[in-house]
Amino acid sequence: MNDVPPVPGRWQAVRAIARRDLLEFVRDRRTLFVTLLMPMAMYPVLALSSLLSVRSALDDPGAARPPARLVLAVSGADALPLVARVRSLPDTVTSGAGWPEQLEIEAVAFDAADRMRREGSVDAWIEAPRGTITGLDATGTVSLEVQLPDVEEVGSRARDHVTAVLRGLADDARRRRMGAAGLPESVLEPVAFAFSGGAAAPGGLSLRGVVPIAAGAVLVLLALLMATGAFYPAIDAIAGEKERGTIETLLMAPCSPGDLVLGKFLAVLAVTLATLAANVVSIALTMTVLLRFMPAHAALGLDAGTVAAAAAVALPAFVGLAAVAAAMSLAVTAASKSVKEAQNTLTPVILLVSGLAGAALLPGLGSSPWVAAVPFTGQVAVTRSVLFEADDPSRRRVGPADEDGRDGSLPLVPLAITLVSSALVSWLLLRATALVVTDEEILFRGPDAVTSGWSRPMPRARPTAWQGFGAALAGFAALWYVQGIAPADLARAILVQQAVAILLPLALLAWWQRVDARTTFALRWPAPDAARGLVATGAAALAGGGLFFLGAAALLAVRGTGMSPEAEALSRRLFGFMRDTPPWQAALLVSVVPALVEETFFRGWILTAFAGRSSPPGRRAFANVAQAALFALFHMLPERMPQTFALGLLLGWLTIRSRSLFPAVVGHAVHNAMPLALVAWAGDAAFDAELVSPLSAALPTEIVAAAAVAFAVGLGAFLGATAETAGSPRPR
Amino acid sequence: MIDVVDLVKHYRASDGGIVRAVDGVSLSVSPGEMVGLLGANGAGKTTTLRVLATLLKPTSGSATVAGHDVATDPVGVRRALGYVSATTGVPDRLAPREILATYGSMHGFDGSALRERIDVLLDVLGLAGVADRPCGRLSSGQRQRVSLGRALVHDPPALVLDEPTSALDVVGSRDLMAFLERLRAEGRAILVSTHRLHEIERRCDRFVIIDAGRIVAQGTREQLGAGREGGLEDAFFAAIGPGAVP
Repeated sequence: MNDVPPVPGRWQAVRAIARRDLLEFVRDRRTLFVTLLMPMAMYPVLALSSLLSVRSALDDPGAARPPARLVLAVSGADALPLVARVRSLPDTVTSGAGWPEQLEIEAVAFDAADRMRREGSVDAWIEAPRGTITGLDATGTVSLEVQLPDVEEVGSRARDHVTAVLRGLADDARRRRMGAAGLPESVLEPVAFAFSGGAAAPGGLSLRGVVPIAAGAVLVLLALLMATGAFYPAIDAIAGEKERGTIETLLMAPCSPGDLVLGKFLAVLAVTLATLAANVVSIALTMTVLLRFMPAHAALGLDAGTVAAAAAVALPAFVGLAAVAAAMSLAVTAASKSVKEAQNTLTPVILLVSGLAGAALLPGLGSSPWVAAVPFTGQVAVTRSVLFEADDPSRRRVGPADEDGRDGSLPLVPLAITLVSSALVSWLLLRATALVVTDEEILFRGPDAVTSGWSRPMPRARPTAWQGFGAALAGFAALWYVQGIAPADLARAILVQQAVAILLPLALLAWWQRVDARTTFALRWPAPDAARGLVATGAAALAGGGLFFLGAAALLAVRGTGMSPEAEALSRRLFGFMRDTPPWQAALLVSVVPALVEETFFRGWILTAFAGRSSPPGRRAFANVAQAALFALFHMLPERMPQTFALGLLLGWLTIRSRSLFPAVVGHAVHNAMPLALVAWAGDAAFDAELVSPLSAALPTEIVAAAAVAFAVGLGAFLGATAETAGSPRPR
Repeated sequence: MIDVVDLVKHYRASDGGIVRAVDGVSLSVSPGEMVGLLGANGAGKTTTLRVLATLLKPTSGSATVAGHDVATDPVGVRRALGYVSATTGVPDRLAPREILATYGSMHGFDGSALRERIDVLLDVLGLAGVADRPCGRLSSGQRQRVSLGRALVHDPPALVLDEPTSALDVVGSRDLMAFLERLRAEGRAILVSTHRLHEIERRCDRFVIIDAGRIVAQGTREQLGAGREGGLEDAFFAAIGPGAVP
């Protein structure tokens, strides 16, 4: 027995965990099915249905098939002169649409022709009775009987070609009759025209309108299958280990939770990358088959160079997506107590991220390079942008510069953005996983007691992290739907929005879970005594008010006066409302109500849910960032998001430090009241210009300086007033 | 080797109340000593062992293994401690050799040293014949031996076992306890929890009886069972009080 075992390197433990998990994954049939077999089966099925759709879309029979050889047998008394007539048809006739690539026409006896038709050695048999040639040169109509083979495909193709031959014969007869009547051929051709420029006529159906949609759908499917590829391994890696009781022994590994999660991440990533590889192979093989059976003249509008360029961008982008999918799945499963719970949670998450991937196909969305930073949307958008221009999907982007108006360059900046974003998002998710994976409650308390679907769970002191996430999700959905029913009047619209999108889901969840209101909504005085509590609250007001002007100044400095039409319309509406409404009413609706309702929701329910009980500083920080991000997203307009994110961070920090919601409510109310102060200060001048002149130009330096001072003083005073609260043991 | 001083571990119940799972436990295990931790279900045995295994953080008090504190140096504790959980904790899809290789690698063994270590363990534990068979196809006794091998692969001076015989038959239990005696003879400190008193009555050097998170009696078999006809079992019931007597 050694007292001192060898000291392992960090990577040795990480590698050992990754190898162990990978071994387990490859011995699980579900993983192999989802990783390898599903992609291999999915694309051929899709390609087959696409091929059938394309074929049925080709409604011009002449254009539907490539020209082929036609063997014609002619029998009857006028067989020989008819064959001679066909063979002597001029080039103008034999180069028309539907004319066979090669025509073999022979005069044979009736019996021989019949036999040849039945044997299939001829494509068609025409009986030319006596009087056929005479009839062609006269003024009547000659009836000809054409017999086709019984094989559907041959008969159908032969029908097209024989039709072209007989139309040519008819054109020739028409000209002969005109000549006999002394009329020039131009009588039949009143208009002559010729095309110049443009691409060579494909002579068939162009799929250029279809290919961008199909390519986008394939990319979204690829993203979905990759997320699915991470599904089982991730569930197996953490929730499965919990259920099998193996997580305890694994947590005894001589490494940090972060290293443990990293090892598991590498294993899940390996499987997800194998899914990517299987998808790529399946797509490549399917394309090979598809192109072989696609009608030759169905123009795809893609060349080998474009496809190679797309692959060069898609591979790194989707490797990034694999990392995000693996990290996301691990984070979800780490917060689950059982395999079933992990499945029930991860399934809707995957459906949601499929929606994100699908959002990349929205018209015009791909034109912003920052879309590349959004997980799942970015990877699809960047890859698609290689193939097609974002603003005109019918135009290819990459290729020779002299064709089709392409700029010939790869979207390297968006690719770099998506790679950096993928790395950052994956890292954040892994950090969250490392924080959650050792959570004692999730690890050892077992699944919640079995309850029927309609009975409420046991009361809790505070909501779970999932209930925080669920509240946000329900709020988002309600916020979206409420847009359709919100009254035109802004005062009522604000009330309806706050009530339906925030109060309603919050009330339902609180009723369902029966949380302790004082704990969940931090209903405590922010300091040990009244005086310091008042100082803390006043300091929060200063910081909130200062942040409004600092945020506005930063926004103007970054974006200038440029605003999206939506932001401009909202600003006009809000400022109009503030000008035309009595000040007390405006203050109530713009400042007090949103501050009370939103703080209860974001810094009450969601922050408490995410931070959990007596959580370590890392988790509290993560919870704060997460709730601030959700708070920013709730405000919907991209222009407002940086400022609302910063406000969310500030208010979250105030709540965490003071363990009280009151400073955040006051800080939020004062922040929202600042536009009212601005209107009072600027008066009607605010509405003289196109929009709001004081805001749309630049804030006066003295206002910015005063705001900075107020913000700094507020923070300093708050730190001082809450020093004792922050240093005392956290409430349990 | 294993020192627990005034250990407290409280849980927050889902209804907001406090559960005092461990409430001021102090015990120690010296090198070459095997101590039995006895208690009814819910007495706090598993929680105590999980704190020692760094799986739970103590609310207060201290616990050290080979001088490493569970709160401040969990990695050091894990390097000095072998832990066998109540569930065997071996993955069904891996073979014993793979499991030992994984944990051996985690602890810094590699190459021929690792292979040699694994072969010795497989041989000692009587698993050589099934070394490459997936654990899902092994008997409960074999799985428990794999679990023990995993806990011993880094040759730790201290060993903590949580109800290691609960899934074993009589023969399996006897073999396992005999193996633990051998490990004790090698100088390891062993803390084993169980509520199958007869299995450990004559094998442990000392016993710690725990009830409702508190130690209610401790000492050698003689100290606890002297004068009682029923031996350790009577001593146990006497310690945890009349309410627990079936």
